Order: sequence, then structure tokens, then C-alpha cells
Amino acid sequence: MKCTFCEHELTPEMLREEGCGACMGGCRKIHCPYCGQENPVVPEFFDKLIKRNTRERK
Amino acid sequence: MTPLHKEFGGEKKIVLVGCPNVGKSVVFNSLTGAYTTVSNYPGTSVEVSRGHCQIAGEQYQVLDTPGMYSLLPITEEERVGRRILFEEDPHVVIHVVDARNLERMLPMTIQLIEAGLPVLLLVNIIDEAERIGMRIDIALLDEKLGIPVVGAAIGRKRGLRELRQAIADYRPRRATFSYAADLERDIQRVTGLMHGKYRLECRSLALMLMQRDEEVQKMVLAGEGERAAGIAEMVNIVVFERRVDLHLRISLERKRICKGLLDGVVSLREGGRPAFAERLSALTMNPWTGVPLLLLVLYFGLYKFVGGFGAGTVVDLLEGTIFEEHLNPWAIAWFEQHVPWYWLRELVVGEYGLFTLGVRYAVAIILPIVGTFFIAFAMIEDSGYFPRLAMLVDRVFKRIGLNGRAVIPMVLGFGCDTMATVVTRTLETVRERILATLLLTLAIPCSAQMGVILGLLSGVPGALAVWIASLTGIFLLVGLLAARVMPGERPMFYMEIPPMRLPQPRNVLVKTLTRMQWYFLEIFPLFMIASVLLWAGKLSGALGWLVDVMQPVMHLLGLPKETAAAFIIGFFRRDFGAAGLYDLQTNGLLSPVQLTVAAVTLTLFVPCVAQFLVMKKERGWKVSLIIFVVVTALAFSVGFGLNRLLLVTGIL
Repeated sequence: MKCTFCEHELTPEMLREEGCGACMGGCRKIHCPYCGQENPVVPEFFDKLIKRNTRERK
Repeated sequence: MTPLHKEFGGEKKIVLVGCPNVGKSVVFNSLTGAYTTVSNYPGTSVEVSRGHCQIAGEQYQVLDTPGMYSLLPITEEERVGRRILFEEDPHVVIHVVDARNLERMLPMTIQLIEAGLPVLLLVNIIDEAERIGMRIDIALLDEKLGIPVVGAAIGRKRGLRELRQAIADYRPRRATFSYAADLERDIQRVTGLMHGKYRLECRSLALMLMQRDEEVQKMVLAGEGERAAGIAEMVNIVVFERRVDLHLRISLERKRICKGLLDGVVSLREGGRPAFAERLSALTMNPWTGVPLLLLVLYFGLYKFVGGFGAGTVVDLLEGTIFEEHLNPWAIAWFEQHVPWYWLRELVVGEYGLFTLGVRYAVAIILPIVGTFFIAFAMIEDSGYFPRLAMLVDRVFKRIGLNGRAVIPMVLGFGCDTMATVVTRTLETVRERILATLLLTLAIPCSAQMGVILGLLSGVPGALAVWIASLTGIFLLVGLLAARVMPGERPMFYMEIPPMRLPQPRNVLVKTLTRMQWYFLEIFPLFMIASVLLWAGKLSGALGWLVDVMQPVMHLLGLPKETAAAFIIGFFRRDFGAAGLYDLQTNGLLSPVQLTVAAVTLTLFVPCVAQFLVMKKERGWKVSLIIFVVVTALAFSVGFGLNRLLLVTGIL
């Protein structure tokens, strides 16, 4: 995925990096190391749903 | 310096580097075929692919590095990518770039050449560049850069033969690019003291030392022994002298060099015009056209869609019809009939009940507003507009003594102030960090709050204009005053602008759904907690006491005493407080003037609990408490003044 602000490529490993601590139940965002933008991590459910729809359309 | 292309284990090494998504893996697969191995780079969790190939009878080992944007690493992947370049002793380093973004990617080529690495530039995806009307003179670029350059579209097998030939014929060439005289003098001051043996050019190491690269510091310490202290001292002197703009100067100098290199190399096809996206991009950053465009975005994206549709149509349906006419009467009647305990009835369906207040506010008022806001926000975000907005407001920021880089936390603050407060740590001076935190706390409403306020005020003609004018005025005034109180340097601002594009429905959908999920997981529980606290306050009499205490303040603002409850719950979440105002307005308890005064005061009022806690973590207790007191005093003073002004002028 790409950062929604600066368009740098983000990896899931970055999710494990330090969050701001403000989220209840742990961080669900990737904090872009280049600009600081918090990018929401797409939940697995949505991801699967979208991939399935794309497959069906093909 | 040791040779960079010596053989290792009988095989010469080819290292592929470049930004993500430029087709490195395609190049890797085209060169190596099916037999490759993927393993973690020693001592890291970053995966590196290795394969083999034979070119002109010679055996090569090929390494595909993780994506990297610069030789100065920020992420773990970039660190590993650089380690490979430093440690693997490559015969040739293929820098893969996207032909469409040559200007953005060429600065890294300069860095690689500067480091003395045996670079071969592969201008990939050239077919796409040609399709949009670009013409790239590869031979001229080769000549100007002083290294072999190959134009290719490896995905379509175009240029693969030329690439293999260029690898086979590779002979290292040296090219030097000069920076401005003052910068050259500083580089010289550092390199003049370096006498150790390094794999990289001292000039490149000096530049990285000046940019505080810790790994290079260790390398130089090991390479120089006793001389290292003197070098560190010289670096400190240079860094101190150039504390305002060192990183910026180096970036701008590289940009200038790249611009010169590309002059005559890249041209548009005859009759071709810049793409619409490029023209629009330029218009959004020009103050004369950018401001009207911003107003259009605000009017259609936020005012009409969020205010008109979200807060009007959808809230009317959910709150006015479904909750007020069906769900609430049914729930209240059921509890009256089946639950004999007053406290429990109050807890669930009372004035501040979990269902009648918490769920209703969260689901029927705030959710449709923030939902439509998230859609508009995701569309604007996906189009790449925000970085352009940052460039547009940069001039204003310079006026109020902020580094243009502060635009980033400010723009991010419109999404979430809490995270934006964390981002202020990227600002270079303490003064800037405090200034940015103060402005974020005071005058930047977060997405949820802005959505609700927009919805709340869009029904009253003129109220939204007064709200925007008040906030902008306060932002500029406080910024200017604070800059006077805390004088200091004003560093310059520089950022890469990604391409502008049409928002993708899939991205908009995913971002909106993800944010909605965040809203339910994180904000909804807070609403429930606030409802319980208000219920407990009501039953114990504490809420009544607090409302009585705040009554004189409400009186000064010209507001009814019921508004105090909205301010109290506004401390938990400002959007929750705004929903309280919405409730008061729909019950006819607030006039247009009172509504506007309450909305402005609440927006300027103390941030939510989460933001305050993060502010304390980032700036410490002392600064946070001062900001808290200043913001509270300012919010109520502005509310008082605005009330008087509106009453005297009769604007609303």
C-alpha cells in the first residue's frame, strides 16, 4: 500500500512500529516513516471481500 | 579506494536498486529466470531475492534489494538496501527508474554515482512514458550522466537485450556533479580531514555525515581512528552553521543538477500538451487559482455533500424519523413497563442514557456526518490534493513563523489532531513544535468534529462563514503573536509532490470503510463512557453542580445554561459536544447567534482527552498545561467577543 499523503510505499512490517498510543486495543494504522501520515490498515475482512469481488468480475 | 567490481566467489554481482513499483522484480525475473532464492538478509527480517544469470559467457549473481528512495535510509528496508550496496561489492548496480517519474528518481542516481558505485541507469516503463507523449533521449542522458543508460520496458521484453549487453560491456566511469560553492566548501572542510580507506567516495560519506547518518558515523570512526574526533568536530561546526536548511540545500542542489541533466533529454511529443493532471496540479498550487479551487473543494466536497446530504438528508432520516419516532419511544415505553428501577431506566433510556443519548448521538447524528465526511476526505486524499494544499498554504505559514513542513501536521490534523500532534516531532526546532501544537490544539478541528460542525451550521445561513472566518482569524492571529513571543529561525520547506490522479472507487471505499471501523472501535466506546459519566453525574448531582458553576460563563457567552453539558462532554470528544449542540438546536434552544458562538467556542475549546494525553507525552506537563490554559481562556474570550460582535452588527 502507499501512504495517502506522500505516496511512499508502506509495508505491513511498519505497522509494528511505534504508534501514538492513543488507540484503544492497539494501533491499527501505519504511521508513514516519511511524512508521519497515519494510514488506516485495511482490515482482512474488507481485503478478502474486495479480492473476491475482483476475482468474480474477472 | 578498493575496486568496487572485484569478483566474489567466482561470480560478479549485479545489484538492483530503486524505488518500489518501478519494475525491479520484473527486471530481476527477466535476468535470472525461475531459479531464485528468497531469504532474510543476515541479521534482519527484510527479505532479499538472489538469482543467477549468464551474460556473454560470464556467470553473475543478481540481488534484488528492497525499495529505497534515497541513499540516506529512513526505513529498515532502505537500511538493508544500503547495506547490500556497501557490503556486497557489486560489479554493477542497476538503478531502475520509472521513465514517467525520471525527475523525481534521478536524485538517487546522483547519490549512487557520487558514492562511487558502478551505476547503470535503467529507464524502465519507457513505453508508458511514450504513450503519454514523453520522448527521452537516452543517448544524451548517457552522455550527460557519464554512466551507461538503457531505455527499456522490461515487462514487454523491450530493452532486455540492450541491458544484458550493457552489463557485459560495463566499464566503470567516473562523473562528478558540483554543488553550489558554499556547499562545496563545507564538503571540502570534512573530506579534507578524511584519510581512511573506504568502499565509498569520501565526498558521499561527508554528505551523509553532515546529514547525521549514524551508520556512516560508525564507519568513519572505524576508518579514521584518532582522526575521527576532529572530523566529528568539523561536521558539528558545519551542521551548526547550516542548522536552518542543510537537508533542504542538499536536496535542492540535487534537484538543480537533475534539472540541468534533463534539459534537452526529456521533451513532449510535437503538438503534445502537458497531461490534464499536470495542468490541474499546477493550478492547485498557484495562489491565484489554488485558493478558488480550494473554495470549490470545500463548497462541493464538504458543505454540499457533508453538510447538505450527510447532516441534512441522512441525519433527518436516521435521527428524526427512525430514532425519534420509532426506536426511542419504543425503548422508553418498554423500559417504563418492564424495569422498575429508576437508576437503570435513566442509565439506558434517560436524558443521558446509553441508548437515548450514546447510541443515538453516535449512530444517528455523528455516524452519517462523519461517514459522508470520510467519503469526501478519502476522495480528496486519493486524488493527491493534500500535498498540493500543503504547498499552497506554505506562504501563509512562513508569515506566521512556521516552517512550511508544519503544513504536514496541520493538514493531517484535519484527519486526527492526536496523531498530528505526534507528527509535530518531525519539526526541526522546539519553537516550531510548540507553535504547531498550540495551533493544532486551538484551531484545527479533526475530521469527526469538522463533519459535525459543518452539518450543524450548514442549516443556518451565514453561520458557517462566520465559523470559518473566526477560526482562520484566530489561527493567523495566534500564530503571528506566538511567533513574535518565540522568535527563532525560519527553516525552508521542501517536499516531493506525488502525481495527481482520479480517485479510485476501490481506494475510496476501502479507506471509508476502514475509517468507519475505526470510528466504531475507538470512538463509539468513548461515547458510551461519556454517557455513563453524565448519567452518574446527573444522579449524584455533580453534573447539576458543574452546570451551575459554568452558568456565569455560559451567561457571558450569551448561551442558555443547558449548553454547559455540551461543553463538559466536549472535553471527552469535541464531536460529541457538537452533537450535543445539534440536539439543543433541533429542540429550538439555540438561536443562530447562540449556535454560532457555541460552535466557535467549542471548536477552540480544549482538545479531546486523547489529544491532551499525547500532547503531554510529546511536550511535557508544563507546556501542555500552559497550552491547555491558554486555549481555554482564548476559546471563551473569543466566544464572548463574537457574541457581542454578532449582536451589535446583527450579521446573523
